[in-house]
Amino acid sequence: MTALLQASISGLAVGGSYALIALGFSLTFTTTRTLNFAQGDFVSVGAFLGLSAVLLSSSPLAGGISGAAIAGWVPLLAIFAAAAGMGLIGAALYRLAIRPFAGKPGMSWVMSSIGFGIILQSAGLAAWGPGTVMVPAPFGDGIIRMFGAGVRLQELLVLLTALVAATVFEIVMRWTVAGKAMRAVAHDPATARLMGIPVEAYMAGAFVASSALAGLSGILIAPITGASLYMGLGIALKGFSSAIVGGLTNPRGCVLGGLLLGLTESWINLWQAQWREIVVFLGVIIVLGLKPSGLWGAKVVEKV
Amino acid sequence: MTWISRPAVATVAFGLLMAVLAAQLGNDYQLTIAFTICVYYLCAAGTNILVGYAGQKSLGQAGFFAAGAYCAAVLSSRFGLSPWLALALAPLVAGAFGALIALPSLRAKGPYLAMVTLAFGLVVEKLVTEWSDVFGGPQGLYGIAPLSFDGTAFSNLHWVWFAIALCVIVQILLGNLVRGDFGRALLSLQADEIAAASVGVDVHRYKVLAFVIAAMTCGLAGALVAQQNQYINSDFISLNLSIFILLLVLFGGAGSLYAPLFGASALVLIDAQLAQWPALQHFAYGALLLLTLYVMPNGVAGVLTGAWRRGLSARPAQPPTQARHGQHIRGNLPACPGLDGARAPGNVLAVQQVSKAFGGVRSAQDISFCLQPGHIHALIGPNGAGKSTMINMLTGVIDPDSGDIAFAGTPIAGAAPHAICRLGVARTFQNLRLFGGLSVVDNVMLGRHPRLPRGIWAQLLALPAARHAEADARQWVRELLDFTGLSAVADVPAGQLAYGLQRRVELARSLATAPMLLLLDEPAAGLNPQETRELGNLLVRIAGHGITILMVEHHMEMVMGISDHVIVLDHGVKIAEGRPADVQCNPCVIAAYLGAGSQAA
Repeated sequence: MTALLQASISGLAVGGSYALIALGFSLTFTTTRTLNFAQGDFVSVGAFLGLSAVLLSSSPLAGGISGAAIAGWVPLLAIFAAAAGMGLIGAALYRLAIRPFAGKPGMSWVMSSIGFGIILQSAGLAAWGPGTVMVPAPFGDGIIRMFGAGVRLQELLVLLTALVAATVFEIVMRWTVAGKAMRAVAHDPATARLMGIPVEAYMAGAFVASSALAGLSGILIAPITGASLYMGLGIALKGFSSAIVGGLTNPRGCVLGGLLLGLTESWINLWQAQWREIVVFLGVIIVLGLKPSGLWGAKVVEKV
Repeated sequence: MTWISRPAVATVAFGLLMAVLAAQLGNDYQLTIAFTICVYYLCAAGTNILVGYAGQKSLGQAGFFAAGAYCAAVLSSRFGLSPWLALALAPLVAGAFGALIALPSLRAKGPYLAMVTLAFGLVVEKLVTEWSDVFGGPQGLYGIAPLSFDGTAFSNLHWVWFAIALCVIVQILLGNLVRGDFGRALLSLQADEIAAASVGVDVHRYKVLAFVIAAMTCGLAGALVAQQNQYINSDFISLNLSIFILLLVLFGGAGSLYAPLFGASALVLIDAQLAQWPALQHFAYGALLLLTLYVMPNGVAGVLTGAWRRGLSARPAQPPTQARHGQHIRGNLPACPGLDGARAPGNVLAVQQVSKAFGGVRSAQDISFCLQPGHIHALIGPNGAGKSTMINMLTGVIDPDSGDIAFAGTPIAGAAPHAICRLGVARTFQNLRLFGGLSVVDNVMLGRHPRLPRGIWAQLLALPAARHAEADARQWVRELLDFTGLSAVADVPAGQLAYGLQRRVELARSLATAPMLLLLDEPAAGLNPQETRELGNLLVRIAGHGITILMVEHHMEMVMGISDHVIVLDHGVKIAEGRPADVQCNPCVIAAYLGAGSQAA
């Protein structure tokens, strides 16, 4: 029972990072009908940007990244650097790889975003190398006891950030003019443009926000998994699965999908660790076979 | 030479040339590169059918590659099966996986489809990594029996020759398939599934076939790799392989028969050149991917055909001005053997108490009517009356909640759109649904789809029967284009025509299905008065050939001028029907159109 509770809490924490990424996917899909298929590289590079910022601020002359050198890191700086840095790169992604292909038939943006990601990863490998860096948690490796189960502070932080991000997103979309404009762009960009909404800016903004969320989840998950330039792929694939299973068009569905996926994965882990990913992705295929637009996604009805 | 096509001869000749060149290659390294090109050619050839023709993006091709590779490996290393038999079974097993994964892909679209294929590739990747008892995991499977002939195992040169032979066979077979009806049907799926179904294309069948073909060639490639290396491990199978296969197709030019050749040879050679700098190799993939999409969206094949066309157009080849306006209608509707006999007396269509509600909106309430053979019927009513809903129920796009629809005595309520089309019901759409990238003649040829023999083997092998059917259909379509006044624009992409002509192309496409009943959803919408008059004349001539017409139309002058019988709907209820003159005087109709108050006025 304690094991189950423990697994559930860890699952929710990992699910929180999937939810952050899924939310980003939902954001760009509703505004531009495109997704960043290189989100994994954005997660990894985000983590390293955060770490580098801390490193540069604390000991400018340090030669390389090592766990010891960044023991006293300022968590907020890292988080800010990861989110802002990836936001900037997200703007570049939109300009170079998405805008030329958005709205055109053939889904070229799938391949162009993958191409952008490969270049980003190559640059990252050149800058930071392929190794895994152990990252100390910002609030220490303390463990809180809840009903007999131990919870790492970092896990709580991930889950909390995901919930805060989802709430902020919900508030912005529902109660601000920007949110209303965003929904208008999602619904019909041509008409939105005629109403004087700067459609381009909103589309670019969606990619900035989505990439910032990817960077955020990278820097938050790094203390749990360790940081490497290959860490992002798995997380992003599951974030993508979460968004698809939850329903790309429904941000709440995406967050729920992320938590659900994290939980499922963690429970299967209790039983047979090596079957974890096989079961998760098989589950995704089955869900889509039954509900082609995800569990909570809007069914696309084409008017004939 | 009548039994073999020219492209087939050219492909065999090219294959022989490559085989001779391969024999000149000096060392094993070069032979390995040649073999790799063939392997990737095979992967790309099937994937091109799926991606370039059927328009279904797959990010899981590595899964099919693995299915073939491990099938050959396990069968020969664990069960001692003959390598030849194992090689023959590998594409079949991979094809079965293709059919399986096509099932959830039938309804999923866009990113959801990408997710299904992506997840499939990942499941296979993890399966061969983790289930090491069967698949050997990262340690892999050793001792896979290589192909041998007369007791001697293949040398590297033999492998290259054998792979070239397979490539030649695949190229000829796939070429036969996509040059005819099968290829058009796949392209129609990519352009517009609803329109494809409306001309009788069984969307599900063709999607599954496209997946099976893509899976089979990737599986064959996988088996070849496993047998030539005599070893396979889980490192071969990765997301990167899936992406690389897609890149081959895009770089070569998705949707061109030569894309796999261009893509595989160019990328494998580039890859070999960069192999000494692994970091740069990785970067080069990304850069190449972006560059391809920017500079040559239609790949190498697109660049080459573009240059070819420019070379041709140096000579004056301006289309006559007539092409912009079409031309006058002449000739008769070509006869259609096989369907004339079906024009039995009695009602063509009987609709009985059909109802349909969307949430709280009741678009059809207990509607009944009958259509007489050879008559022009009009279905009119204010906006939101449920006219298009009725057309959609008659053609299977929407299933009615209750009621019966019988076409020539056959119940069709709830049947699939393509099946209804095959029975002899054709339609046009309110918002045009042409296959914009295809030429006018190909659009109309697609209309012949339900009347062409469907045997995939006859098309695959380009048997004389299939080629004669295609040639006859082409001749028939030429006559139909004369009848509808479209001959001058036959080879222009339909999407580039003026609106009025596009409407006429859609009409010609529906006529090509040789219908007994033609359903037209606002055929005069957007036409100028001249075009509307021409359309009216054309419809009268079509009805004169015994084809029953039911049209939804707001243009009252045309409706009252050419209809034999008018049905009036309002808010999902039939409020009147009868001869045009009677309906015009009906108080209910006047009230529906002008508001209830106008009666007193």
